[in-house]
Amino acid sequence: MIRYFSRIYRVSKALLQGMGVTFCWLFKPAITVQYPDEKLTPAERFRGALTFDKETCTACLLCVKACPTACITLEPATDSVTKKRLAKVSWYQIDFGKCNYCRLCEEACPTKPIKSVRHTHDYEWGMKQRSDMFVKWRREQKKEETQLEKTA
Amino acid sequence: MIFPVLTQSQKRSIGVLAAMAGFGSGGVLLVGELNVRFSQIWNFAQEIALKNSIPSFIVSLVSMVIQCSLLIGFISVSVMFMVWWERKISAHMQSRLGPMFTGGWHGWAQTIADAIKLLLKEDIIPVTANPWVHRLAPVLVFVPCFLCYAALPFGKGLISADLDIGILYIFAISGLSVLGIVMAGWGSGNKYSLLGGLRAAAQSVSYEIPRVLSVVPILMFTGSLKLTQIAGAQTGFWSLYGIPVLPRWFIFYPVIGQLAFIIFLICSVAETNRTPFDIAEAESELVAGFHTEYSGMKFSFFFLAEYAYVFLSSGMMTALFLGGGSGPFFPSWVWFLLKSFAFVFLFLWFRWTFPRLRVDRLMEFTWKFLLPWSFFNILLTGFIQLI
Repeated sequence: MIRYFSRIYRVSKALLQGMGVTFCWLFKPAITVQYPDEKLTPAERFRGALTFDKETCTACLLCVKACPTACITLEPATDSVTKKRLAKVSWYQIDFGKCNYCRLCEEACPTKPIKSVRHTHDYEWGMKQRSDMFVKWRREQKKEETQLEKTA
Repeated sequence: MIFPVLTQSQKRSIGVLAAMAGFGSGGVLLVGELNVRFSQIWNFAQEIALKNSIPSFIVSLVSMVIQCSLLIGFISVSVMFMVWWERKISAHMQSRLGPMFTGGWHGWAQTIADAIKLLLKEDIIPVTANPWVHRLAPVLVFVPCFLCYAALPFGKGLISADLDIGILYIFAISGLSVLGIVMAGWGSGNKYSLLGGLRAAAQSVSYEIPRVLSVVPILMFTGSLKLTQIAGAQTGFWSLYGIPVLPRWFIFYPVIGQLAFIIFLICSVAETNRTPFDIAEAESELVAGFHTEYSGMKFSFFFLAEYAYVFLSSGMMTALFLGGGSGPFFPSWVWFLLKSFAFVFLFLWFRWTFPRLRVDRLMEFTWKFLLPWSFFNILLTGFIQLI
């Protein structure tokens, strides 16, 4: 008899406790982020989309050698008169279909103070076609660069 | 619990809610008791009919049609509201947000959009199904539910048919929709549906008994089966040394009231096939139970019937245990709706707290626990009546 009633007491207490838990959670703010309206800021070392600064790059090819998936290709700029290699890039291409976002290219990059190839915090990007995955940066050759070479 | 710092959107929601409450209570006080308004409209209609020499049976026929459409309108609108409410409350209990986009403010129009979607969906009848049984089942589930609303007192004088056997009528008619569920289970030609239908039949029949018996003490106290009379018997206050302490609601009767209320509440949850007792449509065991093969409008009728039964049970609990529309300041229909929707919230709260019972334990619970206790409650009431 006592066991019967103590069991009823225990069960109903447990049920009420459970209801109390759900009632408390009802008033706690939701952890959902309303994505297109609200956005979380990524962590500091988050490896997002790669960006490339075509003006500071010295075309040293260290990133090409560092890349484990061989997704970076580049062509150094040449002096149009002397046909000599310049410390500038003519075009630089990353195949994001191959890139595994490992940051090795950024670590290998010698330019200072800002690396010319680096990860951003940008994660909102998608491509509709396979050909869109080849992202290419082209650098127009400036006139004074070739003239500088000529006088030197 | 630390009080959270309110964001801009939370402040806006609180503002919207406060404005709604303010305008709502103002409008409600302006309208007053609805039965007064309805009788004004009725008298006006009769005057017009007399002037234009329209026979009186046509007027009463039109009045019946209007009453039916009012009830249908109330059911569909309140069900839409309850579905949205269920989604929001379940979401917030699980630390989510629920629908947020449709309609602008916290996705209030989500259910309307869903209803339009369900109307436009393809109506599928499986090859193995018995087409007529399959077609008739949702009707047979919904119609008894709608019939029950006729005897539900929505406040002072707001009842379509004030039957002398109102409570018996509701129990009897609502028992009919088990037939619809069994038909849906059998007529779908699907073994999951059949299992769901059989389970639902066993469960409903079992829980109907303690549900009816738990009401018997109230009937013994009031000596009437009329719902308006039962609700009317609970007006006023219990006073201690001349100071009113508790309203004279049946739920505050010591021991008997609470026992009857708890048994009735548990059985109502089981009758409406909601989550602690939803073995009839247990998703993890039976796909969707008896409505596995239903789509579009037929499915939405099952949905409508389920939520309409939830409100019916809440309304019955309000009338039987919380004194119907009795309350200060606001008109009676507002009090009835407030109390009923508080019970609806209780139903939702149960659903998102408790896990599902096993089939054998479900049966054991009603036959070995609820039924003896409801008999004991009747016995106790009898002793008190004798003294």
